[in-house]
Amino acid sequence: MNETDIHSKLAGAVVSGVGALDESAKDPFVVVDPGSLVPAVTFLKNDADCRMEMLNCVTAVEREDCIEVVYHLSSVTHRHSLTLKTRVERPAGGTHESWIPEVPSVAALYASADWHEREQWDLLGVRFTDHPDHRRILLPEEWIGHPLRKDYVYPHEHGGMPLDLDAVPLYERDEATPSEPAAPRPSGTPLVQPPNPNSDRPDAGGVAPADSDGDLRSIKPGSNDGGGH
Amino acid sequence: MEALEMYTVDPNDDVYTEELKLNLGPQHPSTHGVLRVELKVDGEIITASRCDIGYLHRCAEKIGENVTYLQFTPYTDRMDYLASMNNNLAWSLTVEKLLGVEAPERAQWIRVIVAELNRIASHLIAFGTYGIDIGANTPFFYAFRERESIMALLERPSGARMLYNYVHPGGVAHDIEDGWLEDVLAFCDEFEMRWKEYNTLLSHNAIFIGRTANIGVIPKDMALDYGLTGPVLRASGVSWDLRRDVPYLAPYDDLEFDVPVGEGTHGTLGDCWDRYWVRMREMMESIRIIRQACPRVPAGPFMDKAMNRMYKTPLKPEPGEAYMRCENPRGELGFYVVAEGGTSPIRCRTRAPSFCNLSVLDALLPGTMIADGVAIIGSLDIVLGEVDR
Repeated sequence: MNETDIHSKLAGAVVSGVGALDESAKDPFVVVDPGSLVPAVTFLKNDADCRMEMLNCVTAVEREDCIEVVYHLSSVTHRHSLTLKTRVERPAGGTHESWIPEVPSVAALYASADWHEREQWDLLGVRFTDHPDHRRILLPEEWIGHPLRKDYVYPHEHGGMPLDLDAVPLYERDEATPSEPAAPRPSGTPLVQPPNPNSDRPDAGGVAPADSDGDLRSIKPGSNDGGGH
Repeated sequence: MEALEMYTVDPNDDVYTEELKLNLGPQHPSTHGVLRVELKVDGEIITASRCDIGYLHRCAEKIGENVTYLQFTPYTDRMDYLASMNNNLAWSLTVEKLLGVEAPERAQWIRVIVAELNRIASHLIAFGTYGIDIGANTPFFYAFRERESIMALLERPSGARMLYNYVHPGGVAHDIEDGWLEDVLAFCDEFEMRWKEYNTLLSHNAIFIGRTANIGVIPKDMALDYGLTGPVLRASGVSWDLRRDVPYLAPYDDLEFDVPVGEGTHGTLGDCWDRYWVRMREMMESIRIIRQACPRVPAGPFMDKAMNRMYKTPLKPEPGEAYMRCENPRGELGFYVVAEGGTSPIRCRTRAPSFCNLSVLDALLPGTMIADGVAIIGSLDIVLGEVDR
């Protein structure tokens, strides 16, 4: 089947929230409401004619007025594919510090969505509700902000390490006459990161596991005082 | 899971084992880079595992939003650094799709040859390092000898040994020199002979089969569920190859080649040996493709004329988006590029095959021995440069 046939099957099955097929695009895509995403994907996966067994890719794209999450689905049995999109409108004045869009997770349907959605949360700050393991994946858990947002401001240091390109190398630093302090964050401080409810880090707002003593992940950010070794 | 029950701990017994947390990597030779896996082990049996990736994260997607379309090509080299040609190819095809141009015929055939040569080189690394993971050191040196020949061949048109930056949007960067195709064909003859040596050395070795057969079995449904692609998917019995099923280069339609799938020869379908054997047979299919392609490289330009003019000023594609996927040695490499009219894209997503293939690891490890865990990681053949990007 081509995209038109799949779209007409999908529009006939899911009652509401399935938009028209945009055939002018290079890869024709369908936009569905966030609320209809899970029923639509469930239908595409289970319907005998669609049989989208594979979720190839989950991508979040930040645009001027919205953040859209793009799902690339394909079927090995029928050798066809479909691009599915869902959009969350940007509220007035929504920046990466104040606005965390929420989209339902499809990790219960496709195991591959687990890591893809974690990566989009990590880099673009899209929260996938009902995700089984909603942690960062590429950046450290204590990282602040989501770097692929357009209004992200580069940090000046992380864990005591200077990140500015023109920062003074450690071995050239003079303790007596410290170099100029880094400029303040232009978009206002402090940068508030919403607590991660699924994190097992004790200071992340989640529930600490019973055996957090001696846990491999229990190193706190900023506690790098050089002790121990 | 039967093996686990044998080791189940009864706390009322005098003798019992204690659960231990074990940190595998990131500086561990069997993790093929900087992969860290947190393991919970009960004696030698892994009871839980959690992958920790990101040690090699270089913000490739963020860089892609800040450089022009052509400037991003060398960055794709550094993702899967064992298959740079294939990465260049996927990126070039994405930009070409966005612009609606097509490379000239000569460039397309050259692309097929260099991509298949690079596929062999990449599978040779998989073969050699997998032997080391299992405890056989010798095959590694054999594999590197032939890989050296391929790198010498690819150096002649591209000027580089590993990070080629050779396949550009609109064609290839340089034309191939006279006599290069003959040398490629001579390499094919030699390689076929060497390939038989590998099988004598490792493939049918009883110890090797004992270490890999029935280990890390990925059933078909699980493979599709986790979005596995490439040899890992085909070893589970799914005949899915983008070169055949979604042809992205015109010459692949004219070429005859088989798509090897796992058969469960020495154990269960989708075990480590099947994944290994699919890669070995794919090398010979690539040789078959190269042999057919070399005599058919037509004369003509190697770079699109209009495209070449556009190189003088930064490209500005029309607003739009394109998802293009290619069959890389490790599976489906996809680029999803969103343009809004500027000289650089506003989103430059990479769907890395190693990233998806690695995600199955946490499901495979529980219930296996630690040493088998090493065999499983090796059989997935990940490149951390691509996992972390």
